[in-house]
Parts: sequence; structure tokens; C-alpha cells
Amino acid sequence: MVGQHDENLLSDMLPIYYTRLFPQNIFCRWLTCGSYPHPVSNRELSFTLADDVYIRYLSINNQKDFQTLLQKKIPHKLDIGGVYNTKPSIARHDSVVLARELVFDIDLTDYDEIRTCCQEAKVCEKCWKFMVIACEIIDKALRDDFGFQNILWVFSGRRGIHCWVSDYEARTLDSPGRGAIADYMCLIMGGDNQNKKVNLGSDNIHTSIRRALNIIDQYFEQLLEEQGFISTADRLQTFLKIMPDENLKSQTEKVLAKMSEASLDRWKAFLNIYNNYYRENSNSSRKIKYLIEEIKIQYCYPRLDVNVTKGFNHLLKSPFSIHPKTGKVCVVFKPGNAKNMKLDEVPTIYSLLDDSSPDNAQHQVNMRVAVKNFQEVVFSLEKTEAMRRRNDANTSLDF
Amino acid sequence: MDFKLKRKSIKTPISGSLKETYPHDLQFYKVPPTCDINLQEFETLALERVTLLRTLATATTLKGLRLNSEEYTEYVLGELRTQGLKYYARLCEKSGCAETAADFEARRKDHIAHFILRLAYCRTEELRRWFVAREMELFKMRFAVMRGEAVDVFFKLNNLCYTNITDNEKNEIIHYLRECLPYQNIDNMKFYKVKFYEVLDLVKTRKVYLSGGYAYIPHRDFISVLSALYRTHLRQSLAIASQHLGEIEQDERLVSLLKGLHQSYSGNDYSETKSVVPIESLDSLSLKSFPLCMRQLHEQLRMAHHLKHGGRLQYGLFLKGIGVTLEDSLRFWRDEFTKIMELDKFEKQYAYNVRYNYGKEGSKRNYSPFTCLKIINTPVGPGDCHGCPYRHCDTSNLKNKLLGYGYDPQAVHEVVDLAKKGHYQIACSKYFDTVHNEDVGLGINHPNQYFEESQKIIKGGIKVEPKKEKVTIKKEEIDDLEGMDFDEPL
Repeated sequence: MVGQHDENLLSDMLPIYYTRLFPQNIFCRWLTCGSYPHPVSNRELSFTLADDVYIRYLSINNQKDFQTLLQKKIPHKLDIGGVYNTKPSIARHDSVVLARELVFDIDLTDYDEIRTCCQEAKVCEKCWKFMVIACEIIDKALRDDFGFQNILWVFSGRRGIHCWVSDYEARTLDSPGRGAIADYMCLIMGGDNQNKKVNLGSDNIHTSIRRALNIIDQYFEQLLEEQGFISTADRLQTFLKIMPDENLKSQTEKVLAKMSEASLDRWKAFLNIYNNYYRENSNSSRKIKYLIEEIKIQYCYPRLDVNVTKGFNHLLKSPFSIHPKTGKVCVVFKPGNAKNMKLDEVPTIYSLLDDSSPDNAQHQVNMRVAVKNFQEVVFSLEKTEAMRRRNDANTSLDF
Repeated sequence: MDFKLKRKSIKTPISGSLKETYPHDLQFYKVPPTCDINLQEFETLALERVTLLRTLATATTLKGLRLNSEEYTEYVLGELRTQGLKYYARLCEKSGCAETAADFEARRKDHIAHFILRLAYCRTEELRRWFVAREMELFKMRFAVMRGEAVDVFFKLNNLCYTNITDNEKNEIIHYLRECLPYQNIDNMKFYKVKFYEVLDLVKTRKVYLSGGYAYIPHRDFISVLSALYRTHLRQSLAIASQHLGEIEQDERLVSLLKGLHQSYSGNDYSETKSVVPIESLDSLSLKSFPLCMRQLHEQLRMAHHLKHGGRLQYGLFLKGIGVTLEDSLRFWRDEFTKIMELDKFEKQYAYNVRYNYGKEGSKRNYSPFTCLKIINTPVGPGDCHGCPYRHCDTSNLKNKLLGYGYDPQAVHEVVDLAKKGHYQIACSKYFDTVHNEDVGLGINHPNQYFEESQKIIKGGIKVEPKKEKVTIKKEEIDDLEGMDFDEPL
């Protein structure tokens, strides 16, 4: 349904969408469970209405409230904030955020300097692969390294993905804790004036980075070909600027510039040059010990918007909100299934509500799958929460 | 915790002898002092501790020394001695449990001063963060210089006990431990299992092996656990203290001292200027009177007609600081941005930001232009052009840029060399001299200061006197602290 998007229709369609398709029940259970031990009414919701009117500090007591609020305001966009010590709508001056899911926001615009298929708001199947890699790497790190279990992955509606970690430990983590996790995950640093954005040093490569590299390796060559990272003269120059060693750089340039433009061939030739060079130049080897790994990371590793993760109260678009610019539903997906996700199979409000749309049947199915994915995460969250509370009760009885 | 206890009017003497109260040079400051002290000493102790904390801040940021490196400790101790803070030097040099009268006296002062500063720094989130970050540095430094037996005593005194993991458990993960830890003799070390949030500083720098939410650390990394404990304790205590501010502030003798303490040391913040700079002159001003960080933002804006958020903030506030009016500012940004976007989009998405910088939107605070410190420490990501060029540019990029401007290659070489060594602000000062063809050797610590100094030279000695801030009013808005991550040393 690309190209059929019309923002003016939203105000008419949204009330129906919210009543018939938005998984209100599961959504409220998710919020309630994720706000515990505070009541769900302490959770901030924020609405963006038509014409970018923005309302903050809303809250709901239950699903009925939520439905009423939705119908009254008809938000074009739905954001979720933190859990306050009081109802967020009252006593704003001394209210503080007590808890908040640990969130991650990855957006393809941050890949503009490396992706060659699209820029800015555009996105295609080719550059979606960056999101697939990002999702796999972060999901794995959250589970294996930090031991988190209740992780929700949401398509942001246009060109990115969001991740919500609802484990109790994650929700109650303070700002330095969030900052530390964000920094642990963040490998790409530096602005437009820094060409080499990854530095792994010369000691061992950390276990988590090794694991990330293994994931990248599954996609690297394919991406290299599809994106043509080093095919044209310009891109080759950008690539060469990453090299910290002038001799290696000029050797590489000499060989690669003469070759055909196929990135994969050029890459393989570069690997050869690098290996020989590394063997023969032991004095500069410290600087380039992990150059190959660093390049792969610079071209493929997730680029997080760390401010979103670090902030305790950064608003983030809710699952199943409609993206106001594309009409797409912010569907929940399984991290293992990200690679099978097709952007034009993401249901839009139009395809869902219009029986005559050719995509209608398929998108209805996809929507149900997305809701089911959401349910699974919420059920498992409720189960772990119940267990945690029982354990807490037991330990406190021991005293 | 009753904070009234710290007021001088309370007469109860400390229970027990000094030896019982202060057994160790290092303490967690769990119990507030309960002794009498006169106002004079109260003030002296407070100011001395602020001096100490500011010394620590200078060491990591302005001097760029690595926390707990040899140079760092040396610098701090040297400063403490020259500033006449011998008792702090004594506590920081060799933390232990000696029992001379001088030791007890130093510990007593340290104890009281810490609690006084809690009252001064519990007022706003920004102040709390600054205070906690400095106290953490102090704690870490003192722990790092402690001798083995003193460490054991410290653990015992504070009831800290941890058990190490079994050899079997260790052998299963030894491969990962080798991969993750920056130490050589992993095989001989005992390892302890703690939750990851107990060692956040190790997590942050990826210097620990994590699995299933647990961190596996050797004995020497225990400082991380302790400092995390201390940090939590301190943050909670500050939160409690801030709730009791009302009671403390009934004593007028203390109010003005406590409120002004942090401010009494910070310089001009350039949030208001008298002079007016027309935007038509920005192009020419940017050549000579803008520091490189602002010059490159200006050029980027003229070239791409767009700056990302960080750049808009850094440059926008600077412009406000040099005297560009809000109306001019709006026109300036609008003219550039509308070259690549609809007017409507600018008005909706960006004009708010400009007005916000001038305190006309949102919390309506009059934001101060960024200091060098803040700019140097700001994170810079893909697509960003802000930050400090001496820190956030590749050497070759910096060199080409400066040569491209047509400066003397010898001078350019010197600037680049300084930047490479991490002397960002000295590099900036050298750049200043090169641009102005003079040898002034300024200490640059604020882009707006750079601008004013440059204007002074160009206009031939006409002093652009910055309007003095009314310190009393500004107190609640320590804007230059806002948003800065003080927990993160360079």
C-alpha cells in the first residue's frame, strides 16, 4: 500500500482502529505489569494529536479509561514515558520518575554515512538488514550478558526498531546503570570529522564483541555486495580513510582502484594485502591488529541512539501506535524472526480497515501474528513478575 | 537521619573516643557528626572541601589526567599542599589506620566537611551529580593508595564479606575471563561473582566478563563494588537531605553560605550580554573571532543548510552569548534551513528550539552557552559536527582544515601536535594566536571568552566588559552543569 498514505484520513480511521484492532487489553496488562509495584495510573502516556499538538502527562487507571481517552483525543501518535511517584498529571513540580523500561532506539538515519541504497527517511529491504543485525546483536547481549528475559521488539513504523526490556532489574535501573549498559553496547563513536569510528585497541577482543562479530559475519559479505561499500571511487576513498597506517593505505589504494568495482572482490583483495602487510610489519602491527574487525563493526554494528537509553524518562513510541507519516502499525516482532520480516508486509491502518485493499487479508493475518507476539512477551513477563514477588515475599518472611 | 544534628546548636558531645569514631582514614560517612563546631570553622571546612573537589575536577578534565594514574595522584597531592590543605593530603596519600592526634583531627575535619557539603549540594539534580562524581573520585583515589592490611581492616569495619567462586566454576569460564579482563595472571586470581549493577564502571568500559546478569571480578576490581555501594548510599542520603532543606534553612547564618558555595567558584557564564551583534556580520566574524569549534559549525551550516541537534544547541547558545538577538537568530536559522525544507517544517520543528535556547519555551530557563569543558565532554555521534575540533577531529582532518584556511604550516603543525597530545584547550589558544598573529597565550575555557578576547584585540583595546552575573539570582540555575555527564571522566 505504499504511496496511498493520506494523513487527512487518519482522524476518521483512528477511532475504528483503536476500538477494533489495537490490542488494548494486552497493552494495559503490559503497562500494569511494567509499572508494578506502582499503580498503572502513575505511568505517563503522551499523545500527539492532529497538527502536531502535543499532550504530555496523561495517564489511565484501567482499560476502560484508556478506551475513553483514545476516543476523546484520537491521538495520531502514542508515546509511553516513565512511572512516577504520583499520578503524572498532578503535582508535577516534585514528581520524580521511579521506574522505566530499559529502552533502545535504532534508526536507519544513523546509517546514512554507510548505507548506499537509501538516505534519510527512505528505507528498503537492503538496508533493513542493518536492523536485522542490530536486533540480533542487542537481543543476544541483553539475554546472555545481562540476563534479561522479558524483551519486546517493536518496529518503529518507518525506518527503525525499538527494544523494551521489562525485567524488574532493568526497570528500576538508575541513570548511571542505563548509561553503563548503553556504553557497553556502543562501539561506534565520533562525528563527521572522525573517519575511523571504532577502536578495539590491541588487547584481546571482549567476549561480547567476538559474539557480535560472529553475527556480523553471517551478513557481512552479502551486505558488502548489496550496498557496494567500496565499489565507487568515492566510497573507496571513504573506506581508505579508515586505515590508520599510511603505507597500508597506499598499497590498498593502488591495487583496489585498478580492480573492477565489485565490492566483494575488492574486499577479498584487501584481506590479502592486509594479511601480508600485517605479517611483514610487526612494528605497526599494534595499530592495525584488529583493523578487519574494526572495519566490519564500523560498517555493520548497531548504531544506538544512546540518549534514549540513558534517559530515565525519554518518551518512546508505543507498540501498535500508527506511524503518522507512513500509516504503518508499530508491530511487535520476534527477534529471531527479524530477518524474515518484509517491510511491505507490515500492516497499515489503510490496508487493515479497507476490505477492498488487495493486502487486506494478508495484513489482517500479520496483525494477528504481531498481537500474538506481544501476548507472548506479556504472558512471560507476568509469569516472571509473579515468581519474583513470591520469592520476595518468602525472603522477607525469613527475617 | 536527622539533619538537625549537624547544626551547631546541638550540644550532645560525640559518644565514645575519637579512636572508636574514626578508626580508619577512609569512611563511608554513614553516621553524621554530632559535635559542636563554630560558624567560622563550619565555613572554613566547607570552602576547603569545595577546593578539594574542584581540584579533582580540574585534574581529570582540564588537565586531562587519567583517574588514579600516577600523574593524577601526584597532581592532586601537589595542589592540596600548595593550597594549604595538608590534612587532606595526609588522608589521600596513604590511607590507613594510624592513631596519632593529627590523624584523628584530619578524619574529623573530613567527616564534618563531607556532611556540610551534602547540605550545600543536595539542592538540585545537577549539583547532586557533580558532588557525587567528585566524592566518588576522592573515594577511589583514597582506596587505590591504601595498603593491603588497611584494606582488610576497612572491609572488616564495614561488614563487607564476599565469597569467591569455586575452581570448577572458574575453569569453566576461564577462557572468557582471559578474553575480557585486562590482566595477565588470571590463573592465580580468585574470582567473585557479583551483580552487574554493582560494577557499572567496569561494565561501561567493557573490562569485565558478564554472564546472565552477573559480573565475574578479581579481588583488585573490588573498588568498583565499593564505590557503587558508596554511590548508592550517597545518592540516597542527598535525596533525604534535600527533603529536609526547609529545616536547615531556618538558620539564616547558614543559608547564604550553603547556597552560594558552588557558585562562589565558577566564573562568568555568558548567558546574558549587553552588546548586540548583527547577523550580517557573522560570516566575517567567524573568520577571526570564532573559535574553531564554532567556525566549523558556521561553515557546515552555510554549506549544508542544516545542523543536527547537538550542533544547533552548541552554536545557537554561542550566538546568543555573543549578542545575537532572538529575532536575528530566528531569521538566521530560518534563512539557512528553508533552503532545504519548507518554511512550515522549520516553524514546526526547529523554531521552537531557537526560542527554547533564549528561554522562551519549555522550562523557560535562560540557558548558558556551553563551556569548553562541556563541549569537550559532549558525546559526538555519526552525522554530528559539533564538539571540540581538537578532540573530535582526526589529526589529518584537522591539519587539512587549518592548512586549507591558509595558516602558516609551522603553526598548524604545533596546533595539531597539541591536540594530538590531548591538550585541547592549549591547542585552541595556539590557534587563537595564529589567527590573530599575536602571541597572547590565553587560557581558553569558554568559546564566548575566546570571542570577547578576539574582539578586544581587533577593536584595539576597547574592553568588552561582560555583564557581571547577579550571583544571588542565578543560584537555582546552574545551567552550565545541565545535561553534562559528570559521572564520566575523560
